[in-house]
Amino acid sequence: MRISLKWLSDYVQLPESVDELARRLTMAGLEIEGIERPAEALKGVVVAQIVASDKHPNADKLSVTKIDWGHGAPLQVVCGAKNYQVGDKVPLATVGTKLPNGVEIKQAALRGVDSSGMLCSAKELGLSEESSGLLILDAAAKVGQPIAQALGLDDVIFTVNVTPNRADALSHLGIAREVATLFNVPLKKPAVTLNESATEAKTKIDVRIEDAERCWRYAARVIEGVTVKPSPQWMQDRLKAAGMRGINNLVDITNYVLLEYGQPLHAFDLDRIGGASIVVRRAKSGEQLTTLDGKERVLHVDDLLICDASAPLVLAGVMGGASSEVTEKTTRVLLECATFQPTTVRRSSKRHGLHTESSHRFERGTDLHVVPEVIDRAAALIAELGGGTVLKGRVDAFPTPKAPRQVTLRTQKVADVLGVTVPAADCQRILASLGFKKLSGDDVQATFEVPSVRVDVAIEEDLIEEIARVRGFDAIPEALPRGLSELEPERPSHRVERLIRAALAGQGVDEVVNYSFVSPAELAAFESGAEAIAVSNPLSVEQSVMRTTLFPSLVQNVIRAARHQAEGVRFYEWARSYRPDSSGGQGTVPVAKETLEVAGVVWGLRHGARTWTAKDAEADYFDVKAIVGAVLRALHLEGVTSESFESPWYHPRSATLLRKGAVVLGTLGELHPKVAKRLDAPAGVVLFQLDVEKLQDAAVLVPQAKPLSKFPVVRRDLAVVVPAEMQSEAVRKVILEVGQPLVEDAQVFDVYAGHQVGTGRKNLAFGLRYRSPERTLTDAEVTEAHTKIVAEVTRRLGGALRT
Amino acid sequence: MPDAMHDRLKALSETARTEIAAAQTAQQLEALKGRFLGKKGELSAVLGSMGKLPPEERKAIGEVANTVKGELEALLEQAQKRLEDAALDEELKGPKLDVTLPGRAVAFGRRHPVSQTLEDIVRVFSRLGFEVYSGPEIELDWYNFEALNVPADHPARDMQDTFYVDAHWLPKGVGPVVLRTHTSPVQIRTMLAHKPPVRGVMPGRVYRKDSDQTHTPMFHQVEGLLVDETVTFAELKGTLAAFARAFFGASTKTRFRPSFFPFTEPSAEVDVSCVFCGGKGCRVCKHTGWLEVLGSGMVHPNVFKHAGYDASKVTGFAFGMGVERLAMLRYGIDDLRTMFENDARFLAQF
Repeated sequence: MRISLKWLSDYVQLPESVDELARRLTMAGLEIEGIERPAEALKGVVVAQIVASDKHPNADKLSVTKIDWGHGAPLQVVCGAKNYQVGDKVPLATVGTKLPNGVEIKQAALRGVDSSGMLCSAKELGLSEESSGLLILDAAAKVGQPIAQALGLDDVIFTVNVTPNRADALSHLGIAREVATLFNVPLKKPAVTLNESATEAKTKIDVRIEDAERCWRYAARVIEGVTVKPSPQWMQDRLKAAGMRGINNLVDITNYVLLEYGQPLHAFDLDRIGGASIVVRRAKSGEQLTTLDGKERVLHVDDLLICDASAPLVLAGVMGGASSEVTEKTTRVLLECATFQPTTVRRSSKRHGLHTESSHRFERGTDLHVVPEVIDRAAALIAELGGGTVLKGRVDAFPTPKAPRQVTLRTQKVADVLGVTVPAADCQRILASLGFKKLSGDDVQATFEVPSVRVDVAIEEDLIEEIARVRGFDAIPEALPRGLSELEPERPSHRVERLIRAALAGQGVDEVVNYSFVSPAELAAFESGAEAIAVSNPLSVEQSVMRTTLFPSLVQNVIRAARHQAEGVRFYEWARSYRPDSSGGQGTVPVAKETLEVAGVVWGLRHGARTWTAKDAEADYFDVKAIVGAVLRALHLEGVTSESFESPWYHPRSATLLRKGAVVLGTLGELHPKVAKRLDAPAGVVLFQLDVEKLQDAAVLVPQAKPLSKFPVVRRDLAVVVPAEMQSEAVRKVILEVGQPLVEDAQVFDVYAGHQVGTGRKNLAFGLRYRSPERTLTDAEVTEAHTKIVAEVTRRLGGALRT
Repeated sequence: MPDAMHDRLKALSETARTEIAAAQTAQQLEALKGRFLGKKGELSAVLGSMGKLPPEERKAIGEVANTVKGELEALLEQAQKRLEDAALDEELKGPKLDVTLPGRAVAFGRRHPVSQTLEDIVRVFSRLGFEVYSGPEIELDWYNFEALNVPADHPARDMQDTFYVDAHWLPKGVGPVVLRTHTSPVQIRTMLAHKPPVRGVMPGRVYRKDSDQTHTPMFHQVEGLLVDETVTFAELKGTLAAFARAFFGASTKTRFRPSFFPFTEPSAEVDVSCVFCGGKGCRVCKHTGWLEVLGSGMVHPNVFKHAGYDASKVTGFAFGMGVERLAMLRYGIDDLRTMFENDARFLAQF
């Protein structure tokens, strides 16, 4: 719902800050979803008068005008429009203005003639989609006045998201009532002064409700001698601000009062009502009605209708009919103000696919007791703006007046529900400001009469909600239910552990748990002379030193498995390694340096046993590399490099250091044959070891989604013969670098060393994926990029393209 | 005669020593072993001719022959070790593997971002001591709406466009039946099945007749319910604030705004400080500094009535959140629909 603040300020003193007003309403449950400030977009545009106009000396289509803009000497402005006459008032965008369409007005010369500003059309001001020529303003517009003011756009419009329970807030007065309560200021309702003629309305019209279950109240007034004409500009401006369009004074007044009170009204041409009587009844089977939108509708027996003596006039609460619509010829008006059963209106609205301002409010519930006030307000406006006479009295059919609801509030219950004590005086003050009348009671409990506009309030909890929202939910403390304790966010380390373990499980790696102490000899087989913390009273010498690496234990696991005729194993262990720390043990510093590691071993047949698909495939270095890769990928760790290094326990040919920038994350490689021999371990053992804390620091726990290209991939292969010792990554790096930005990825898919490429050389084949996020690549541009990559690889790495 | 044999053994030993020292391969060593020490080898041949000697001389020569045999065996063993060491040294000096080649990868699957987010939400509440409950997705209108204080022909039904189940597929007399529009009916089922106190979360799929950039006809919610003798709004705030800190990060702030849900009273929308800008205002939070992530409130007495609880004896709070919304905020996903397109490139990112 759109609310004009200019309009709102008729009823309540608004706070100075628009943002503060929006915040308070939002925090009281009336969410302000949008704030429009139309005047801001029109800054720098003023009302100007064209005082002279001459042909442009150098251009047939242009004119040179003299403009009075109310600030000193007239300006010379070149203009392309033709739809004006000298003396017209038009919008002038002064130099420095930035128009809503982005055009910035500069001092300029157009075809050799100086122009200081620009005369604007409605479209250029963002006021309409289309327009031809200048916007000609009302002759009464004041020269020099900001255009927003002249057009009634010096307003701020709120878009309010009114929840379905708050029928009372679907109007300017409803919002004003809320503002009055929140800011503790008085509410000024419109003053209605009605001069009624001596003739009684009931002599002109008869109202009969046949279905009192569906129609709770029907009030009518008669106004005679009305002139139908456009409503005044201020009213049209307000309707426009609220999202409605001006039609004529009668329709505009019913809409205006609807937006003012939230109570729908309808104006009939009384002369088009047959038999001078209104009958509210359900539709008969097969009955038809042409609604105001020009559609002929077949009615349902559940539809409620407003009829005259013989025919349906209006689909009650939803839309009027064409037959009794007011026209320019109308002079006698029947004004309707009624209350319908919400569910009836909703069913009719759904059934006929008609959602109107009227049905929207009726189906949420309207105020049964505001009807007389509203119909008087509308009648007074019609008399004022349409020049008619209001006949005496309301014809008010109100079959079963309902007593106002009463609800009792226990002060203790407020505390029980909210978890904070609200003094009885505060509860009563808030409820009073919302229109709840205290009937009886004390500080322990009190009974209130619910204002009829609050159709949503029926039980004690409803009152508690009113108190809570007016005080603000911020005024309620945070507590935890009994038995609950404050939660810390899950630690990154826990998350990293879960991810790593899941990745290892996914790679078919079983977890082992070994003792932290090992035999000095096993340790020495890895690291002769390593400083390891020894246990002074070990159970046996085999369990006497704290391991400095998890590898001795893992190799023992393999030896044991081999002894038991296993054909292949994959193990990992999640544990610490221990090294003496000469500065440890001071205060709370741990005595030894304990490093959390995840380490693993792979040995034997790749699939643990012979399978018919891979009979005797032995796991090797590249299987372990894949396991480590899976862990890194699970942690979204990109850009980890592999490089050879020297290590006492890895085979020199495969000892690999994993590095992310300067940080060493871990190592992997084949067990050094000499170490294997010392331990009597079988051949083909491959190991890895990762530093968990380093992984944690580098891990990306919440990766951010990357946009996906909608365009196809072009694949090209690249095969290059390089020296045997050259590492594939060096080649790949060149491909990716030179291939920017078109190469999405490049993967090695073949490595061949043999007599065909010559000794000391090998062939590397890469599959390249070319793709652009913006377009489909042409064959030519892919070929060009590919050729460039080939040339660079050859030049930089001494490779030769293999064909 | 004995001297002659002596000489033969000596010569044999010397020849063998020279040849073993000169051996370059394991095969050569094996051949030498056979030639000198084998059954039909040279040493056996010398010993075979011993039978013609008198016994006392035979013994003396025999001792010499055994010494020679022992010496040769030791030499062969040393030579073998020498060759093995040399071979290993040779291998260790050999060509390096290309350690930059990718590993022999085993396909490694990932969980869908919605499933990961859902698990994380439930994990937080599990740690808080909430049980996990579930209920049917094809649900009676009564559980989905009526029991939750949303009667027929009520405007609140506009808040959720509903899929209905064709009566043809229903048992006689059953209906109307909807695809549940929220996980809230599980609240009712849980309360009907358990006496208070109840403390549960109810994750699952829900359905609404809506499809655009910000709506999909199916999505996921996690509902929460806590009912006990004296549960307060303050505790609702405390619990959800604790959840927000656990899920979005320790510095996350929460804001409770009055709103409307038919099944709670009072009702609140819960905003968290924007996870992208920390509350300063950015594109994602539309420059408000806040992101709307949860609906919540104190359970409406009518809901207790429908669930068979005595509203004068218990109070409770309930809340619900959209899993996709949280997943989108968490992973920076712009378009809700990508969640269900299951593009392999998308799935591989999480």
